[in-house]
Amino acid sequence: MPADNDTLRKQIIEAIASQHRPTVTVLSSLLAIQDSIGYIPDEAIEEVAVQQNTTVNAVFGVASFYPNFRFSPPNKHSIEVCWGPTCHLQGSSNILQAVLNYLELKEEGDTEDGEFSFRFNTCLGACSQAPVISVNHELFGKISPDESINIINKIKSSDPHHK
Amino acid sequence: MTEKINLIIDGKEIQAEPGSMIIQAAMDNGMYIPYLCYYPGMKPYGACRMCVVKAETPTPDGSYRSLPGNPASCTTPISEGMRVETNTDELISLRKGIMELLISEHPHGCLNCHRIDLCGPTDVCLRHVTVNDRCVTCPKNERCELKDTVRYMEMELTTPLTYNNRHLPLEVKDPYWDMDMNLCIVCSRCVRACDEVRVDQAITLKDRSGRSIIGTSNGISLLESGCEFCGACIDVCPTGAIVERDYKWDKAETKTTTTCPHCPVGCQTSLDINKRNKLIRSIPVREAEANQGMTCFKGKFGLDYVNNRNRIKTPLIKKNGQLTESSWPEALDLVASKFSQYKGNSYSLISSDRGTNEDHFIAQKFARQVMDSNNIDFSSNTNTEIFDNLSDMIGHPSATNTIWNLLKSELFVIISSNITEQHNVLGVPIKQAISKGAKAIIIDPRETDLSRFSDNWIKPNINTEHILIGGIIRSVIDQSLEDHDFSTKSCENFDEFRNSIWDFDLSRVSTETGIAQDEIQNLAKLIAESQSTSFLYSLDTISSELKSSASTSIINLALLTGNTDKPGAGIYPLFSGPNEQGARDIGCTPNFMPGYNHNPTSGIGLKQLNESINRGDIKALHILGNQASIGSESGKTIKNIVDKVEFLVVHESFENEFTDCADVVFPSSLFAEKDGTFTNLERRIHKVNPALGSKFDEDEDWRILCQIALRMGSNAFNYNTSHEVFTELSTFIQTTDEISFDKISESGQIYGVERNYKFKPLSMTLSKGSIATDTFPMILTRGRILEESTVDAKIELVNDKNSITRNEIIELNSQDAADINILEGDPVKIIGENFELSGVAHLNGINSGTVSTTQLFGSLIEKVQEHKTEDPMLYFDELTLIPVRIEKP
Repeated sequence: MPADNDTLRKQIIEAIASQHRPTVTVLSSLLAIQDSIGYIPDEAIEEVAVQQNTTVNAVFGVASFYPNFRFSPPNKHSIEVCWGPTCHLQGSSNILQAVLNYLELKEEGDTEDGEFSFRFNTCLGACSQAPVISVNHELFGKISPDESINIINKIKSSDPHHK
Repeated sequence: MTEKINLIIDGKEIQAEPGSMIIQAAMDNGMYIPYLCYYPGMKPYGACRMCVVKAETPTPDGSYRSLPGNPASCTTPISEGMRVETNTDELISLRKGIMELLISEHPHGCLNCHRIDLCGPTDVCLRHVTVNDRCVTCPKNERCELKDTVRYMEMELTTPLTYNNRHLPLEVKDPYWDMDMNLCIVCSRCVRACDEVRVDQAITLKDRSGRSIIGTSNGISLLESGCEFCGACIDVCPTGAIVERDYKWDKAETKTTTTCPHCPVGCQTSLDINKRNKLIRSIPVREAEANQGMTCFKGKFGLDYVNNRNRIKTPLIKKNGQLTESSWPEALDLVASKFSQYKGNSYSLISSDRGTNEDHFIAQKFARQVMDSNNIDFSSNTNTEIFDNLSDMIGHPSATNTIWNLLKSELFVIISSNITEQHNVLGVPIKQAISKGAKAIIIDPRETDLSRFSDNWIKPNINTEHILIGGIIRSVIDQSLEDHDFSTKSCENFDEFRNSIWDFDLSRVSTETGIAQDEIQNLAKLIAESQSTSFLYSLDTISSELKSSASTSIINLALLTGNTDKPGAGIYPLFSGPNEQGARDIGCTPNFMPGYNHNPTSGIGLKQLNESINRGDIKALHILGNQASIGSESGKTIKNIVDKVEFLVVHESFENEFTDCADVVFPSSLFAEKDGTFTNLERRIHKVNPALGSKFDEDEDWRILCQIALRMGSNAFNYNTSHEVFTELSTFIQTTDEISFDKISESGQIYGVERNYKFKPLSMTLSKGSIATDTFPMILTRGRILEESTVDAKIELVNDKNSITRNEIIELNSQDAADINILEGDPVKIIGENFELSGVAHLNGINSGTVSTTQLFGSLIEKVQEHKTEDPMLYFDELTLIPVRIEKP
């Protein structure tokens, strides 16, 4: 949903204000915003700069340092494939290749149809279940390339727009 | 004095300041360790690893313990007895390896081309290297630190050596600077200069690891990212990544250090002159004590006017209503014979505000001795009131402390001054001190860059600043917070002064100023409890009849709290021209002789000139122009009356309204062609050196005056050099030091003056009337700041350059707005004489009768850059108050 500018700013300000913690920093505010609206728009950089009494450039410096922050709205569904050491040993490279092929992507990124945002993940924290993928933040362990594609396919076909 | 630390670097015993890093200790002792990211004066960073060394420290049992690994000498502090090796084989090979990594991302045709020793610096490349990598395509060719370092290390680079070209687009759309991030080595000197030194953060290091590069937030234009266009990033860049756009590829033939003619800070800057006698670059001098390697947009990019070819090339004489070229003897003879008819009070001389001390001295000597007239003044002397009481109250009309002493201040009280724009480098220590914890009280109706650094931005009603300060004084005394010892023992007149302040009843002060009583008490407490406070004021927005009261109350407050000349404390009256201090000190004013000797019959100065000419008292007017006064208020008034005098002589460099009316015009030298001295606001005498060779038949003003004097029969004007003039004028300067031309070092020389402090009783003067009129009933206070990210700005390309537009927010008092039916968010238009601005209304509690708006510095810079006149910095839009009316479009 493309929010108009005022609503977006309001969401951002609410996200910053929602942090109930003793140390509100540039980083924590950026995280709160990404959790709330899924990415870091221009307006978020500006609001964090004002709230932290610093400049947009300083905030952007921090935000762009972390690959976890994204600066454009994500697609509808998030897919992450773990390529940490354990998953790697358990054959995650095959899963990676299969998912990339299926999504018609060459590397991390968003599919053109606006459906999927694909990312590598260094560790999803479930090594005992390796190999692991995460689809819309739900983990699927001990998974094969084919099963991965099935899961993604299922989301796609359950989406009313795609029928 | 703290004791120095002894250490041994490469077998040489040296001494260095405690707390310094190894690299600094080595540099201070004339030794060189290769470095790229380190920069003197900035915090250690340790990014490039070029400066690695071997170091060991003594242990109690007499043996030595090595510091682990190869520490970077820029981040390793020295210690007593330390032994450092900088050039072992291991270190050299390590450095070479690091350098190879660095240049694996940097085009280096300039480093390994086999014709390096064969080509001269300006030879055309004969295709030995691909076009983009040629040495001649790099703007920093032959002045690149990366190249110098590679050469120092005598690296053998194989040909061809491939490198990873980043293929990043060039950034060439912002004013004045070009950025080519393909040449960047990510030392982040520029980011640190902008953040640590200038406290602006207009650029940042974005992304990380291999993609890490310099840029702005989301790639926004510098016009909106908070840049003050000071060029500090350009000056520290070791490669050609960030450079000045003008004369980008030009090579300097000579470099001459001289003094910037734009403001009284007197930045020392090194001017690069190319072989065609053009000024191509201005690089501020890091060792200079007045500016410490800093300058501003004026000193960096505002000196190009000296290259303008539209100069007045020869003397001109008006014949049949037309200015026609003539020879020097003819023009001088004519002026001399004419002037002998106007001796006495019908003659007036206005010296240039960009005149050197020598010009001013000869000007006043000429007026007084040859023309028998005290009608002598200089063209920026429009703010006389702030100097009125200085001699009486602090002994000498000048700042009581130095510029960089501001760094030690705990508190700044800044009254009606736009320091970041008018005295930019003065703002650098202020911003640095504030970023380290100092506080600032800004008393100004306008929003300025510094008001954003302050927790106490006070906006009293217009023209009540002096009453507010009176109230603060009253509150200090009421709360017994004054520095009683200092006030009674070191200052005169305390009791009389104390008795005068009962007038300033806090409730009345509060009604007049619109500032709540407890806020006034709070300010009093803040000022009195600070250990060191600096008071800075130029009183831009205060009407002239009240400037004297304002200045008096500020000095009284400074004396009362004991903030005169101790570390971190001082009184800084701020004026505008580059050499006003000099002009005053050597008597280029109507009421004082050189050295502030009182003049029994004071003459007509700039302020009364208009009236005198209209009355017909002044028949011959002599203006030493140099452009500078044209843009100012006084320039505008004089412009209307110059045609009323019988005989007008103008010394000028470019044609303008004055020369059009002149009977005789002499071609005058510009600052970069002059040989002389300027005195800055801390009484530092700086040399002005001729960087440019002579271009046409121009001459320095004092020499022209001497020639006229000789022709009028005076023999007191036989000077051959400016040195001789200085020797004579220095005997008049009131000082406790000995001043001699030869003693003035690269950093200039501050001369001491005797101080005696004296309170002056205050009375509550009310403003005589507002500048508002029936047609323009409201007063517009305009502010200007570097960035305001929460207001959306639009950047468009106009002629391939970034241009910024914003929907300006116009602040109105809610009651005023209700009276004229304006609601929050309504589009409104404010109209003044020669002024128009549209925007969106924002209603709040600002003072009734005022309208307020804050614009971006970026839009000003854009306009200045586009300005087509010879010297655009003179048409710099100062933030004066403007009477306006509000309309709905």
